[in-house]
Amino acid sequence: MSVEEVTQKAQDLNIDQPSTVLSSEKEFQLKHPLNSKWTLWYTKPPVDKSESWSDLLRPVTSFETVEEFWAIHNAIPKPRYLPFKSDYHLFRNDIRPEWEDPTNAKGGKWTHQFWGKTPDIDDLWMRALLAVIGETIDEDNSEINGVVINIRKSAYKIAIWTKSADNKEALTSIGSKFKTVLKLGDDAQLEFLPHSSASEKHPQPSLVL
Amino acid sequence: MARYTEEELFQLKPESDVPVNFDIDSFRAVIDKVKEIQGLQEEEFQQFHRRRSSHHHGKPKIKHTKPKITTDSDGWSTFDNVTRRKSSVAAGGSGVFNGSDDETPIKETPSIAQETLKVKPNKNISSTKPADSRDIVTDKATNTFNAFAALESDDEDD
Repeated sequence: MSVEEVTQKAQDLNIDQPSTVLSSEKEFQLKHPLNSKWTLWYTKPPVDKSESWSDLLRPVTSFETVEEFWAIHNAIPKPRYLPFKSDYHLFRNDIRPEWEDPTNAKGGKWTHQFWGKTPDIDDLWMRALLAVIGETIDEDNSEINGVVINIRKSAYKIAIWTKSADNKEALTSIGSKFKTVLKLGDDAQLEFLPHSSASEKHPQPSLVL
Repeated sequence: MARYTEEELFQLKPESDVPVNFDIDSFRAVIDKVKEIQGLQEEEFQQFHRRRSSHHHGKPKIKHTKPKITTDSDGWSTFDNVTRRKSSVAAGGSGVFNGSDDETPIKETPSIAQETLKVKPNKNISSTKPADSRDIVTDKATNTFNAFAALESDDEDD
């Protein structure tokens, strides 16, 4: 092959304008995948007595990447803006945020109640979300099913829902980290309540940190 | 397993808002609507249901003063007019002094309210008491028979 022919072929390759994903900022969207798909649920406060629990609890959207999470988190109203009796639930895959769901049935929840106005509740909720989707709170394997915030008139409640209620070692490890995430001091109590006792009038925590 | 620390996740946070894969406007509209309804309900509650400091201890017991009624031996009931306000005296309607030295109040004519009778009918048909206590007056025996006095009478001695 002569020099002219090589030059011609090189020009035909059109190296100056490559047609890869790197050529277009619009097309080039490198996303960071999460360990699993997460679904955001919202419980609308009842405004009519005829509304049942199933009417009020609805999935909002799902995401599988860090970028999608931030897009949703930045768009939705923060907990402090939500009306009383609202709940946000973030659950793994298609787990419903209900005790009756087979994945939740044998589990429980680590929960803490923030009494009063709690000005940093939006930040605490975001920290809980990041710990859950980043999987840093559960080092073993997928013990966590979801995370919930309840907005009430007198208090906010943040809880992490677990798959089991009897794995004391794993639950204690999760609880200790969750306590750090929520910036709770030694005087603040974090309680673990098995879902099996949820229907009781005054359920007693099986673990306290 | 994909893991991200809090710091790593913050590094990936976009600086500007990114479009989401659902109808965020409808979602916000639902929340705004609920807040509006709750605001109206709260306003209505505050307007018509005054909160009390005893909210957690039930409703406070309000004692209504009962009118004093005296019943005489004949079963007649009358309102007790002893506790009359001084203002009514000053008005000259009642309790007017007769100007004498002993300052004894003149006995006034009873008002309609004072004449009100409280009659408690005897509903027990088999009872020996009259159904209407007012009948006691007419049925009242003027002379009573004393059995012991009769036994000790002079006629028996004979």
